[in-house]
Amino acid sequence: MFLTRAEYDRGVNTFSPEGRLFQVEYAIEAIKLGSTAIGICTSSGVVLAAEKRSTSELMVSSSVEKIVQVDRHIGCVTSGLTADARTLIDRARVECQNYWFIYNEPMPIESCAQAVSAMAIQFGDSSDGGSAMSRPFGVAMLFAGINEGVPQLWHMDPSGTYVRYGAKAIGSGSEGAQQTLKDEYHKDMSLQEATKLAMSILKQVMEEKLESKNVEVLVMKPNEDFRMFSKEEVEREINAL
Amino acid sequence: MSIMAYNGGCLVAMRGKNCVAIATDHRFGIQAQTISTDFEKVFQVNPRTFLGLVGLQTDILTVHDRIMFRKKLYEDRENREMTPEPFSAMISNFLYEHRFGPYFIEPVIAGLHPKTLEPFICNMDLIGCPNKPDDFVVAGTCSEQLYGMCETLWKEDLEPAELSEVISQAIVSAFDRDAISGWGATVYIIEKDKITKKQIKTRMD
Amino acid sequence: MHKIQSFPEYQVPGAQHQDFSPYESNGGSIVAIAGEDYVVIAADTRLSSGYTIHTRKQNKLFQLSEKTVLGSTGCWCDTLALTSLVNARMQMYEHLHLKTMSTEAVAQMLSILMYNRRFFPYYVSNVLAGLDSEGKGVVYSYDPIGHCERTTYRAGGSAGTLLQPVLDNQIGGKDRDVKNKPKVPLEKAKEVAKDAFISAAERDIYTGDSVILKVITKDGITEEEVQLRKD
Repeated sequence: MFLTRAEYDRGVNTFSPEGRLFQVEYAIEAIKLGSTAIGICTSSGVVLAAEKRSTSELMVSSSVEKIVQVDRHIGCVTSGLTADARTLIDRARVECQNYWFIYNEPMPIESCAQAVSAMAIQFGDSSDGGSAMSRPFGVAMLFAGINEGVPQLWHMDPSGTYVRYGAKAIGSGSEGAQQTLKDEYHKDMSLQEATKLAMSILKQVMEEKLESKNVEVLVMKPNEDFRMFSKEEVEREINAL
Repeated sequence: MSIMAYNGGCLVAMRGKNCVAIATDHRFGIQAQTISTDFEKVFQVNPRTFLGLVGLQTDILTVHDRIMFRKKLYEDRENREMTPEPFSAMISNFLYEHRFGPYFIEPVIAGLHPKTLEPFICNMDLIGCPNKPDDFVVAGTCSEQLYGMCETLWKEDLEPAELSEVISQAIVSAFDRDAISGWGATVYIIEKDKITKKQIKTRMD
Repeated sequence: MHKIQSFPEYQVPGAQHQDFSPYESNGGSIVAIAGEDYVVIAADTRLSSGYTIHTRKQNKLFQLSEKTVLGSTGCWCDTLALTSLVNARMQMYEHLHLKTMSTEAVAQMLSILMYNRRFFPYYVSNVLAGLDSEGKGVVYSYDPIGHCERTTYRAGGSAGTLLQPVLDNQIGGKDRDVKNKPKVPLEKAKEVAKDAFISAAERDIYTGDSVILKVITKDGITEEEVQLRKD
């Protein structure tokens, strides 16, 4: 006797007869409620731009961190459940430091994404009494980094799948954004063009007006450490649109 | 730590063509603490004979005095200069007399026979076992390093100038890899008609 | 109150207690010299124990990758355990990170593997030679608990104390009053390494038989063997 869908979507370790893991799919749905973030990779650098939602006029917008530093050479933006994101980012940071400690060189971006994905799929181990999460993480991540001098962009979703992208959008506006990226992105794009593209897409998909207080921008370049755009730099980008 | 390495220091002597050389460092210390940097461990005992003593400083001074006493007694009784060969034998005997309560020193003797001018080098352990090779002898806290240096740099029939260079390079490079030897060096080149004393500036750490 | 009762040591007359001694020194020496675009590493081939020679043909150089070679002497069983562990970890790295470990990465990992055994160390003297990520020659030397130093030349093993000042003199330019170190051509580095072993074989009974010399350049690794005295 088959169970109904409503019963298959409870256990994270149970496939439905159609071969689906509903909890993972729901987690992917959760991201679509999150704020929009865009990553674009060019040969001279990677850009990350993220929308910062303000739930109240009284909120201090600078206290919300959407784009974070994982290591000197890796920046990361998340979309979805912020609390879940912190857990994964902490792991990414620890893994990067551990890699540096053992091998005395910066961690490859792919290895970092892989290490985080290993944690993201541990929810499956929860039944054997460990300390793993009982549900998938409701987070999608974009890792922007410099790997042996080459800019790279990696995406990871709640299923633990990690894939390298030329350009990728996550969050509520991702569908529209992804379509624009598909049309506009090309490999030989300059970093300035990429930054401008990311900002203009954000402007299109955001519900609120694009302002320096509700957007964060990071540009990673070879031979340069992690550095976010200052308020002034963000404003300059907005004004240039 | 061995009592032989309490004060630190090193010695090396080499044979050349119609010449011999002996070199000493300048350090006197107590374990790792350097007390003075002008303590030469080589003494001229005759016009062409030099005695080097390395090990416990108090024993260096005592043994030197006692050896000089015996040597002078010999020369007065025999009324002739003591040649390097019997001088070494005398030190060997003296050290063996203290077989079960030894002086903590290792001697190095270098000289030319006053008549035949035959080069002579010799060293001993602390109880007087003599060793008279035809190349070089070493002693002190960096003897291993000295063996490595001498074994690579030394050649047969070195002229006095070459011998001086070889022994200087050997002792300086050797004691630079030893924490309790060094702080300057002195090299003596002993030739038929000339003793050349050369002070070498080295790193002082 | 109970009195604590102490039992006498259980001893049988004639039976002797043997302490466990986990270490043994099997001798052997290593010399490594790095240049601008090459690195030379050499080790003798005598494996001994006290006055006994186990073999005259033991290679003590372990090729870890296309541009990294490890020389290891000391307690031979520890050398074998450590080198297999390093090899295993390098293989795991290759699978996980999809690239070969750089010489710098191997150097750091080796330090950590050794320090992991801080209180029961691998009794080994390690010298790691290779080309760095810029193609320059490098030498890393270690103490048994994993202290790691990057240098341009090093002598290690049983004749390490004999040979280090020789390298200081011939390679390091410590014999001169010059600020900038002289560049050492490959041929000279090879000659000094060979001469060093000939000298060491004279005075160190744990070094001899023959010396295996590996030269690492961007074009690959070449190997040659020179005979030493066998007594």
